[in-house]
Amino acid sequence: MQATARKRIWNLGLLIGLLSLIIASCGSNTATPTSAPSSTSLDLSNWTSIEQAANGQTVNWYMWGGSDSINRFVDEFYGKALKERYNITLNRVPVADTVDVVNQLLSEKEAGKTSGAVDLIWINGENFASLKQAKLLRGDWGQSLPNSQYVNWNNPAVNLDFGEPVESLESPWSSAQFQLIYDSAKLQASDLPRSYAALKEYACANPGKVSYIAPGPGAFQGTRFVKQALFEISGGAEQWLGAFNQQLWDQWSPKLWEYFNDLEGCLWREGSTYPKTENELHSLFANGEVDFSITQAIAGAGSLIKENLVPASARAFVFDDNMIGDFNYVAIPSTAPNPAAALVLANLILDPQLQAAQILPENGFGLGYGIDPTKVSDPALAAKLASAAQQLGDPATPASDLAKSLRSDIAAEYQSLIEQGWDANVLRK
Amino acid sequence: MSYRKLVLLLAFLLIVPIAIFLVYAFAQGWFFPALWPERWDSELFLRQLRDPQVRRGFEQSLVVATGVSGLALLLGYPAARVLELQQFRGRGLIYGLFFLPTVVPSVATGIGLNIVFLRLDLAGTLFGVMLVHLIPVLPYVVLTLGSSLAHYDRNYEHQAAVLGASPWLVFWRVSLPLLLPSLVVAGVLAFLISWSQYVLSLLIGGGKIITLPMLLFSAASGGNYSLIASLSLIFIAPLLLLLGLVARYLGSPATGATPRP
Amino acid sequence: MAKWRSWLGLAPASIIMLGLFGSSLGYGIAQSLGWLPFLDQRELSLAAYRNVLVGQQLGGQWWSALLFSLWVSCAATFGSACICLGLLSSIAERQQHYRGLSIVSNLHLAIPHSVWAMALLLMLSQSGILARIGFAVGWLDQPKDFPVLVRDRWGIGIILAYITKEVPFLLLIGLATLRQQGRAYLLVAQSLGANRWQRLRLVLWPLLAPSLISGSFLVFSFIFGAYEVPALVGVRYPEMLATMALELFLNPDLQARAEGMAVSMLMSLIILAVVGLAWRWREQR
Repeated sequence: MQATARKRIWNLGLLIGLLSLIIASCGSNTATPTSAPSSTSLDLSNWTSIEQAANGQTVNWYMWGGSDSINRFVDEFYGKALKERYNITLNRVPVADTVDVVNQLLSEKEAGKTSGAVDLIWINGENFASLKQAKLLRGDWGQSLPNSQYVNWNNPAVNLDFGEPVESLESPWSSAQFQLIYDSAKLQASDLPRSYAALKEYACANPGKVSYIAPGPGAFQGTRFVKQALFEISGGAEQWLGAFNQQLWDQWSPKLWEYFNDLEGCLWREGSTYPKTENELHSLFANGEVDFSITQAIAGAGSLIKENLVPASARAFVFDDNMIGDFNYVAIPSTAPNPAAALVLANLILDPQLQAAQILPENGFGLGYGIDPTKVSDPALAAKLASAAQQLGDPATPASDLAKSLRSDIAAEYQSLIEQGWDANVLRK
Repeated sequence: MSYRKLVLLLAFLLIVPIAIFLVYAFAQGWFFPALWPERWDSELFLRQLRDPQVRRGFEQSLVVATGVSGLALLLGYPAARVLELQQFRGRGLIYGLFFLPTVVPSVATGIGLNIVFLRLDLAGTLFGVMLVHLIPVLPYVVLTLGSSLAHYDRNYEHQAAVLGASPWLVFWRVSLPLLLPSLVVAGVLAFLISWSQYVLSLLIGGGKIITLPMLLFSAASGGNYSLIASLSLIFIAPLLLLLGLVARYLGSPATGATPRP
Repeated sequence: MAKWRSWLGLAPASIIMLGLFGSSLGYGIAQSLGWLPFLDQRELSLAAYRNVLVGQQLGGQWWSALLFSLWVSCAATFGSACICLGLLSSIAERQQHYRGLSIVSNLHLAIPHSVWAMALLLMLSQSGILARIGFAVGWLDQPKDFPVLVRDRWGIGIILAYITKEVPFLLLIGLATLRQQGRAYLLVAQSLGANRWQRLRLVLWPLLAPSLISGSFLVFSFIFGAYEVPALVGVRYPEMLATMALELFLNPDLQARAEGMAVSMLMSLIILAVVGLAWRWREQR
C-alpha cells in the first residue's frame, strides 16, 4: 500500500517536474529578446543605402500559390531581376490561403518574436484589415518608394483597400476589375445579360445554367457580386460612397435579399448549394454546367485559358455598370527579418517595364496595372505600357467597356453585413 | 463475395485514383463531355519534376519523414517496453496520454503548438518540424510496438543475460532480430504519417521549411487539375514504393501494425 | 532503483507528449476564454462559449453544424464498420493468412484523405468521369441529369469519401484479430457442428467486435475533427463543425479567433466524451 502511494507521488512529481521544465523554458525565452530587428536603421530618404543593405539578402515573399502560371511569372520576372540587379535571392513561399500568413504573424506576436519569417505578403481586403487591426504591419513606406511616383495615391481605389485606409502600410502591385466569362462557342455577345435584372431573366429562361460564388470570408468575389447587385437595385453606386450609412443599408438590404431569393429558384441546383471558390465556378463553367464564370483579371479569360482552366473559346465581358474595380498590394510585416530586401522588391514591382509585362496574358499573371500609366513621363516606357494594354487579345474585355462600368469599392462595414445577411436571408432560408 | 474478388476490388479502388491522376497530369483542357482528352502535354508534369521548389519540398519532406521515423523508434521503443513489459498503476493513464493527440483535432492544438515552438526557438527549423510531427506519429509507433511486445517472450532476453551478455548485446542479438518486423512496420507508419502532415508542417515550418503537402495544398487551392494531379503523383509514389517494399512484413501477423484512420 | 531506471524509458516520449501537446492545448483553452494578446486582450471570460452555444449569430450555426457533423461521422463510421464486417464475414473461413488482402489494404494507407477526396471529386461530380461515361453511352444529355453525389446538401460526398477510405483501415484491424485467433475458433466451432450462421453470430462477430468497435471510435473521432475532406467535397451549408471553426479562424475580425477556438475545444470535448464512454464500455466487458 505504502509502496503504491510512494509510486504515485513519484508519478506526480515527475509530471510536475516536466511541466515546470517546459514552462521555465518558455518563460526564459520571453525574457531574452531575440535578435534585434535591423529595420529601425532603414532610411527611406536614402534609397541607395537601402539597396546596399539589401545586397545579399533573401526576401521571403509569402503569396497565394494556387496558380502555376502566376508562380512562374513571379520566379521568372521578379526572381531573375532581383538576382541580377540587386543580388537578392527571392524565396517565394506558396500558401493555400493568405490567412495562413495572418495566423503565422499573430502567433509570432503572441510568442513575443521581434524577428519573424515573413518579409513580404501579397495581400488585400480582409487580411489587410486583420493585420492592420493587430498592428502587425510596417508603416510609412508605401508612398516613400522611388517608384511610388507612378502610383496615383489620390485615387480612392488605391488609397482605400476594401474601404480600409491604406495609410502607407502597403504598396500596390496590380489592379483588378470584376468581369464575367462566357463561352463564345455557345453564346453570342449580343445575347449576354448586361445587368443584374437581365441576368435574372437569363437565369430563369435557362434554368440551372447560372450560379455565383457564395459570399463569405475567403470568398470576396461572391461578396462583391452581391454588392454590385446592391448598387443596381438601389439605383446607383454613388450614394454608397463615403462613410458607412446604416440607414441606407436598412432601406435597401430587404430589396437585395428579395432579388437573390427570387433568383434562387432559377439557379444551378436551384440554389440549394453554391460554389465556394472561384475555381469551383471555373470548373462548373468549363464543363458546361453553368454558362458564366467570373474573373478579376484585366487579361479576362486569357490567363485562365493559358492554364487550361477554361476552354479556349472563353471570353470576358462586363455589365453596363457597377463592376467594382480595385487594387491589390504587397505589405511588409513589422517583424520582417529582411525589410530592406522587401522594400527593394516592393519598389521593383512598380517598375514600369515589369508592370508592362504583368498584364500580358502570355506571361501568366494577367492582372492590371498597379501604377497609373499617365504618370510615366519617359516616352519609351509610356509607349511600352500603352502597347501592352493593346495586346490583351480577344479573351479580354474591351478597355472601353471596363472603363464605362468601373466603380470603386465602398466602406468596409458593408462587407460583413452582406456576408452575414446573405448567409441568414438567402443561404439558410 | 469471394476472397479473390475482394482483393481485386480493393486493388481497383487503389488504381482508380492513380489512373485518374495520371490522365489528368498529362491532359490539356479536358472538359465534359469529352470521354478522353484530345490534347496531351507532358510539359507541366516534367516541369514539376525539375522545379527547384518541388525538389526542395521533396528533399525536406524526405529528411523530415526519415528523421521522424528514426526519432519515433528511438523514443517509442523504450516507452512501449515500459508500457507493455512492466506492471504498474497508471499504465492506462499513460496510454491515454499517448492516445490523446489522435482524437483531439489539430485545429484545437495547432496554433498553440506554433506559439510553444516559436518560444522555444524551434519554429522554422527542420528539427522543430520533426519534433512536432512526433505528436501525431508517436501514438501509432507506441501502439504498434506495444501490441507486438504483448506477444513477445522476454525469456529469450533473460537467458541471454544469464549467459553473460551485456544489455547492449542482448538488444542487438536477441531483441532486435525478434522485433525487427514490428520495428520496420512502425518506422514505415511513422514515415507515412509524417509525409502526409500538412497543418503542423505549415504552422511550425512557417514557410522556412517547405514540404510536399504544402505545395500540394497550395496547388489544390488553384483548381488546376493537371498541377494537382502531377503533385499528387509525386507525393504518392514514394509511399507506394515504401509500402510495397515492406509488404511482406505488413502481411505478417506478428508486427502488431496499428495504422491511422 | 531498477524500477526507477525502467521508468526512464517512458520519460522522453512522455515529455514530448505531455509538454508540447499539453501546453499547446493550454494555449487553445486560454484563447477560447478570450485571451488574445495580439489584441492586447488578456481578460478571461466565457463569452466566446456563450456566443457559440446560444449567441444570436453563431448559436444556430453551431447546433446545425453539430447535427451535420454527427450525421456525417455516424453514417460514415457505421457504414464503414458494417461493410467491413460483411466483407470479413464472407471471407473469414476461406483463407488462411489473408496476405493479399492485407497488403492491398495497407497500400491504401499511401493515399491521404485529401488526395482521395480530390480523386473522388473528379470521378463523381456531375461533369466527372462517370458522368462522361454516362454521356458516351447515352444515359444522360447534360451534367444535371447525373445524380448529385459530391458537394451535395446531405454530405453524401463526404460520407462516400470516408467510407471508401476507412473500409481498408478497418479491414486491417479486423484481419489482425482474425489472424491471431480467428481461424482456430472457427474450425473448432465447425467441428462441433455449428452451421454457418451460428459460426458468424456466435464466434466471428464476438471475436471481431472489440477491435472493430475501438477502430470505429478512432474513425469517428477522426471524421468528426477533420476538415480537409468536407472542404473539398462538401458545401458551404450545411457545414461540419471543423469547417465552422476554420471559418471563424478566417474571419477578418480577430475577436472571432476566440470563438473559433471555443468551437474547437467543444469539438474536442465531444470526441473525448464519446471515446471515454467507449473506453469504459470496453473495460467493463
